[in-house]
Amino acid sequence: MNKPTIKKITDLSPHRLIAPGTPTCAGCGALAGVHQIYDILGEKSIFVNGAGCMTLLATYPFTPFKGSWLYTAMACASAGAQGVRDALDILMEKKRRQSDEAMQVVVLTGDGSASGMGLSATSAAMDRQLDFICICYDNEGYGNTGHQYSRSTPYGAKTATSTKGFHGVKKDLFAIWAAHKPTYVATVTAAFPLDLAKKIEKASKMKGPRMFIMLAPCPPGWHFDPPHAVNMGKLAVNTGIWPLKEYIDGKVVHTLIPKKRVPVEAYLKSQGRFAPLFLPGNEGQIQAIQAHIDDYWALVPPS
Amino acid sequence: MYRIRFHGRGGQGMKTASRILGTACFIEGYEVQDAPRYGAERRGAPMFAYVRVSHTTIYERGVVPVPDLVVVADASLMAIPAAGLLTGCTPQTILIMPPLYAETPPLPFPGVHLTMDMDKIRETQISPSHLSSLWAGAAARLCGIVTETSLLQAVEEELVLLGEEAVAKNRQSALFGWRLMEAHTGCVTEKREPSSKAPPPEWIEFPWDPVSMSAPAIRSPETSRGVITGLWRSVRPVIDDARCGKCWWNCSVHCPDSAITVNKEGAPVIDYAHCKGCLICVEECPRRAITVRPEERDPEKGDPP
Repeated sequence: MNKPTIKKITDLSPHRLIAPGTPTCAGCGALAGVHQIYDILGEKSIFVNGAGCMTLLATYPFTPFKGSWLYTAMACASAGAQGVRDALDILMEKKRRQSDEAMQVVVLTGDGSASGMGLSATSAAMDRQLDFICICYDNEGYGNTGHQYSRSTPYGAKTATSTKGFHGVKKDLFAIWAAHKPTYVATVTAAFPLDLAKKIEKASKMKGPRMFIMLAPCPPGWHFDPPHAVNMGKLAVNTGIWPLKEYIDGKVVHTLIPKKRVPVEAYLKSQGRFAPLFLPGNEGQIQAIQAHIDDYWALVPPS
Repeated sequence: MYRIRFHGRGGQGMKTASRILGTACFIEGYEVQDAPRYGAERRGAPMFAYVRVSHTTIYERGVVPVPDLVVVADASLMAIPAAGLLTGCTPQTILIMPPLYAETPPLPFPGVHLTMDMDKIRETQISPSHLSSLWAGAAARLCGIVTETSLLQAVEEELVLLGEEAVAKNRQSALFGWRLMEAHTGCVTEKREPSSKAPPPEWIEFPWDPVSMSAPAIRSPETSRGVITGLWRSVRPVIDDARCGKCWWNCSVHCPDSAITVNKEGAPVIDYAHCKGCLICVEECPRRAITVRPEERDPEKGDPP
């Protein structure tokens, strides 16, 4: 029963569990991922949503979900998930619910929250071995409020609060989360639906904290046209700037190693937010980003 | 007091237009208020911004219910009642907007309807990204209380962060809007100011609401289907059935909005009531079987009216 059922792309569901009509932007890379995830976890999953872009999914009185969705403040989605999990456990203990099969408690949080004010509650939830799935949709900024930089914004990206390019470093949330030694940590992106589906299915059969970081290309925040949203995800993986990997049983395994990495310039050039890197005199910055990626992959053992 | 409302879609720069007009009036020595209302806070969604301009302290707050001037950047907003373009318009209200779509029924608008000559703007090759200044320039001329110098200074103050080149282009664009409206200079009439002599509003006590009201719950599934996001589209993707390879895992899986369903034969079908027109499917279709067509709504085919 625990064998994976999704092995090839045609094993994905042709039917969409999440309804249309949400107010997210056209071409939203986060919604693309959320619907792929919901198709696998099923309509009984209970979403606990920290404030962020995905708040827009259920704007009263409209919801695209068949099942439950609970809205929390920005910092405390993982604490909210604890409450939901406890409530389910109590209902089962009192025999008011026979089984919680397929009732996954799923946190949806943006990168601003996950790598900033929500980090503490999520860290504590992992400490307590909370049985939940946590999905950080990473659009690399505070997208819902006009794309100010977050601690997940990459170096050089122009945002509403870094008009000349962000000079910080993108926080390595994967390493931070993996350092808690939770059951599972993985990176995904909607442009690779099979990789995403396999990881979600695998995680859905485990217990304990199962953490996901999903790169979510954002047309208005990254300054590219909506039709290219999937291309951005593909480029991110093929340039190696967004490694697809998982942490399981204490080890990090890369699930897709690009055979020949596309130069990162192709990724940077395709998004208006990186325009500051292409100003005269900044050539060294692109080389530095490329060198950073090359250094990362030099340490990755070939599969 | 002049009360001006700017309507557009998120991304069309109407918030910036309201800022520029407000700042220009402020430079002229007026008391000014300007604020945007975003609603959904995303590109493409109807939004508006409003400006109040007065000789004396402004005590009015909130949206402008009865405008003296309405500036509309996008004629397609007329089809969206929730955008509220004509709300509160009186016989004295001036409306300036691009030409209406051919099939649009006569507007229930009692005031003076001016049309912006978009063809003339296209000829000048003013980039769409500088149109906010154009609308601000036009609005400034219609009000007739701003000099050219203040208008240009306001453009500079508001857009200085974008760099010199962008400021220069926006100044050109603002001037063009300003000149287009020459024949209508000052046609906006200033309204009596009933509220300016009124005392500042008193403190209002809000009683506690029961939890059921203050934390609303949605008890039905999938109510979002009632939201016709198909109205966001400016062009439509169309599947050529003869070329379609029924590989729904490309278009349907990648469609962020679940707007491509898969029928019993395994073929993808676009739900035009909800397709937002992001065109990811056009880009992802390996057989190039999805083409982009101009938007023509046909209610008989299930399109939104």
